Parts: sequence; C-alpha cells; structure tokens
Amino acid sequence: MLKNALLTLLSLAIAIGGGGASVWYALKTQDGVGAIRIGQWTAFPDIGTPAADPYSKARVAREGVLALGRAEGLSFIAERDSGGEQLMRQCAYKIEGGFPTARFWTLYAANQSLGVVETGRPRLAALQSYQVLRQPDNSVIISVGSRPAPGNWLLTEGTGRMYFVLTFYDTPIASSTGLSDVTLPRILKVGCNA
Amino acid sequence: MRKLLHAILLGLLGAGIVHIIVLLLVPEFSERGAWSRLAMASDLYKMTRLDAEAGGAPVVKSVDPLFYAAACRFDLTDGMVRITAPGNVPFWSVSVYDRRGHNVYSFNDHSATAGLLDSVVLTPAQMIEVRKDLPEELQGAIFVEAPIDEGIFVIRAFVPDDSWKPTVSRFLDQGSCELQDF
Repeated sequence: MLKNALLTLLSLAIAIGGGGASVWYALKTQDGVGAIRIGQWTAFPDIGTPAADPYSKARVAREGVLALGRAEGLSFIAERDSGGEQLMRQCAYKIEGGFPTARFWTLYAANQSLGVVETGRPRLAALQSYQVLRQPDNSVIISVGSRPAPGNWLLTEGTGRMYFVLTFYDTPIASSTGLSDVTLPRILKVGCNA
Repeated sequence: MRKLLHAILLGLLGAGIVHIIVLLLVPEFSERGAWSRLAMASDLYKMTRLDAEAGGAPVVKSVDPLFYAAACRFDLTDGMVRITAPGNVPFWSVSVYDRRGHNVYSFNDHSATAGLLDSVVLTPAQMIEVRKDLPEELQGAIFVEAPIDEGIFVIRAFVPDDSWKPTVSRFLDQGSCELQDF
C-alpha cells in the first residue's frame, strides 16, 4: 500500500516538475519555433501576432514584448559571426554586403536582454541607413569595435556576449512572401582584444 | 521493478501533458505582460512614454535605441478612442495590440493623410454606427476596426540623430488619446 502511494507520488513529481521545468527551459532559449534564418540572422516574423505558435505567445506574455507589426518593420538578430563563433563585445567585426529594400534600417549592438549596449560615451552603439556611406555598388561596409574606424563605425564597448539587431522599417520583406530570396550582410570577425 | 518503470513512464507522459497545459496557461496568468506593466505605470487613456528618455527605466523592453515610443491603454466597451499627434517627424508607425500583447493592426505615416497621425480605434459594431453619419472632424482619420475590448495603442517615431530629439519628443508628448463621444 505504502509502495503504491510512493510510486504515485513519484509519477506526480516527475509530471509536475518535468513539465514545469521543460516549459521554463523552452521559453528561456533565444532560438525557438517559428524562426526564420537567413545567414547568421534570425527573425520571428510571426511573433506577437494571433497566428504565432504557443511558445512565442508565452514568451510575449512573460517578457512584455510589444512586437513590431507587419506595416512597421521586421527585426533580425545575429548572435554568431560567419565563422559560427559567438559575438563578443571585446572583438572587432566587419559587417558587409547588400541590404534588402526598406525605407530605412537601423543596426545596433545589443546585450543579452536585447537592449542597446552601454558605451559610456555620448555616441550610441547604433547606426541607421541615412547616415551610412555606401560603396559604388550600393553595398555597405560597417566596422564594429571600440576603436574609431574610417567609413561607417559602430561603437561597442566592454566585454561579454553581444548581439546585433538589424531592423528594416516599412519594408516589403515583412510580408511572408518576400522572405525567401532576401540576402543579408555577412558578419566577419576582424580580431579580438584578449 | 516493473512497477517503478511503470511509474516513471506514467510520470513522463504526465510531464508532457503538464508542459502543454502550463504553456497554454502562461499568457492567461502572466502578470509581466505589456498590459500589466503599462497598468502599473499609468492610467487608461493616458499617453505614456515607453523609452527611457522620459526618465526612469523603459516600461516595455526591446525598443530600438533610435526610436522613441509612446503607448496608451484603452477599453472599447467605454466607446471608441481617438489618437492624434501633431507635427511632422521623419517616420512614425503605429500598432494596435490586444490585451495579451498580440499585434492586431499596424500602419505607418505613408497611410495617413499628409503624414499626420489621426486615428480612431473602434469595434466593428461601433464602425457601423459611425458609417451612418460620419462626423466632419473624423473625415481624415484612419479607422482601425478591431474586434477587441481592451487594447494598447503604440506610436513609434524615428530619431535619425540627436538634433531630432526635441521634435520627436514633442510629437509624442503632445499626442492625445481620448474617448470619442458619438
């Protein structure tokens, strides 16, 4: 009798503990269901819409996200460079390539919670497309690092993990049909301050 | 031994069920959603700045650093709500969210008459009433038909560089969000 009770208790403990922990884990990981990957960049076009999957919905409810609407824009997040290594704030990078059609775009270096990284200086760790210099073929080369660089310079500071957030505003790629043949710029590592 | 294995298997099956139930219940019971956060910061029908610029920590996270944003909460059971903001800024966009933070409708300054933000959010039933006799002052407004009761209206405005900060701040601070009598 006591053995049966213990076994029941064990089942219940596994069910409730395992179920709760697995939800918590699934919501914590950055990468999830409904993601679209283009090169190193990830976007969640469905997040924050009624059509989103239950995981996105739960994440929206838990984190208080107000996701951009389709008519507003679409955000891409990169956490690794082209070599597959995690982006670090103490490293210098080059972001180069063409950007898809949009009224304008913004690019910023973000910390773990996707807020802009603190630079401790008046200059923001962000760039936008109206202020960048372009190559003759309309592509853009951006130098990322703590040392000033000629051309387009995205200032970063500090140490630890970093993300790039690239957002296109008023863009046709936000409608799902346009996403298949979009190419986004590459992220190349230049070097690190050890 | 077999009984123990049986119990563990049963537990794993239960874990799957609990996983699904908890996942579906999180949006229902979360007190950290955008609505709850805004409710702590301000009242219904009150434009509230979401960015950190206005002082204090940002109310709702993950706002583009080159953007300012403001939001107001409304309840359509009280009547339709009209949102206006004066002046021209380089780019603004608007989203209407339901209480759970789902984006129901969005548009940007290209959709508006002369780029001016003047919008009315109402339910389909209220829309039928308004269509019968459209008031003069609402002729140029963008009507957002949303099948919701409570919701959040968010304005985002682009700040290309520091020189635009005062203009964009004024645009958002002078924005109004009020119940429209009809």
